[in-house]
Amino acid sequence: MEDFDSQTSDKKGPAAKLKGVGDSLWVTVDPDRSEDEIKEEINNVFQRLNHLAIGARVVIDPGKKGKSNELIDLLEQLLKEKYQVGSVSLPPEVREKQTNAENRIRQRDLDRSWYQYSSDVLMLTGRVRSGQKINARKHLLLLGDVNPGGEVVAGGDIIILGNLRGIAWAGQSGNEDSIILAFDFRPTQVQIAGYVAAGTSEASEKNPEFAHVENGTIIVEDYIEANPFGRLPWPKVR
Amino acid sequence: MEGKIIVITSGKGGVGKTTATASIGAALAMENKKVAVIDMDIGLRNLDVVMGLENRIVFNIVDAVNGKCKVQQAAIKDRKIDNLFLIPASQSDNKNVISPAAMKNFCKELRTEFDFVLLDCPAGIEQGFENSVVGADEAIVICTPEVSAVRDADRVIGLLYAKSVLPKLLVNRIVPEMVARGDMLSHEDVVDVLSIDLIGLVPMDDNVVISTNTGAHLIHNKQSQAGKAFRRIAMRLNGNADLPIEVPRAKKGFWGKLGFKRGRNK
Repeated sequence: MEDFDSQTSDKKGPAAKLKGVGDSLWVTVDPDRSEDEIKEEINNVFQRLNHLAIGARVVIDPGKKGKSNELIDLLEQLLKEKYQVGSVSLPPEVREKQTNAENRIRQRDLDRSWYQYSSDVLMLTGRVRSGQKINARKHLLLLGDVNPGGEVVAGGDIIILGNLRGIAWAGQSGNEDSIILAFDFRPTQVQIAGYVAAGTSEASEKNPEFAHVENGTIIVEDYIEANPFGRLPWPKVR
Repeated sequence: MEGKIIVITSGKGGVGKTTATASIGAALAMENKKVAVIDMDIGLRNLDVVMGLENRIVFNIVDAVNGKCKVQQAAIKDRKIDNLFLIPASQSDNKNVISPAAMKNFCKELRTEFDFVLLDCPAGIEQGFENSVVGADEAIVICTPEVSAVRDADRVIGLLYAKSVLPKLLVNRIVPEMVARGDMLSHEDVVDVLSIDLIGLVPMDDNVVISTNTGAHLIHNKQSQAGKAFRRIAMRLNGNADLPIEVPRAKKGFWGKLGFKRGRNK
């Protein structure tokens, strides 16, 4: 039985290990072992180093569990007196990283919806003039204006950060969830997934407005008031 | 001499391209520049009539471009203004007798001969437009405050940008009284849609019809508000780019004048 016990304790590996990291000596100690065991192992190792240990920077790594400062102080005293090492410290950065690791995994779960998502948005700047036509395979984002006679067509949504006075056709793939949003919403005509609505000439209130399909008709609403995506629990890929 | 070639275009017909060409050309010539005005509307020439030179035509633009005569032979000197020349269009030909390549070469030749060359572009965006634009450095887009004219001007501006010709906007035939009543688009509305640099605002003026019919120069008419506006546009083209743009205002009534005299009307 005793043999068996000693074998299992052997499998735990040495009480202290040494390796060179950068310009310092990294001592990994097993805090489960007794102080004497650790001291003995350290003596073993540092005696072999001879003069190499003098003035060296030593990092004591007590592993994940951490250990009372007493052990660290004791080892520091031993190393400084017997082997004249330069300084003794704990590995602070590594400790912080390890505590952050769990948080980061959780964050990645939240972000996963667009983590490896390549964009399907055609983003353009400028003015679409009369006689010009823009075709986007999926969503269209235009930083600029659409003049009367200009046309913008998209498979998905159409977002215009400017005046919309021309023709806008969204959801060409038959997607009834598509919207058409413009800062100044005064189109000649809008179309969403086959539903057509003629624009009115009345001036809008200069608030961002958007068109969407509801019960088979196109409805135009104030974007800020309606806030159609404000109630989603978390950001989603569209 | 490295002259500037300016095409005057609009897309829509009847907005005042020919009048503007004749008036701006005359005003530039009055500023001691050698100016040629060229009628590009082959088959439907009018610029010669507007300038009162139709009885002097011997050669025309088609002859000059295709090398049948020299530029100096085709250019008709104006009756009243020394530095002003007209190259008329051919009345019997078709617009595709001139190729864009030949026109480009001809423009190079014109540049050495004149300080300013004004091309009176035909309406539409077909061959005649292509020929007029191919050699031009700049463009003046003429637009009246009407929805249809704005639409056509917008199309033309897109085409001009595609050919890397810099367009400038001239809003013609503004009736200030109607703008004040809200019955007509204001020049701000037009600029808002077209969003290019403005070079001038020209009010509606009955004198234009009178001078067109008599073949006299509009800019010589001291009472003409349109003539004044065209003179200011010519000054802007002639290096005086910072000259402020005057907005046509409705004529004031009796009480307005009284207020002005008493210094209240500010």
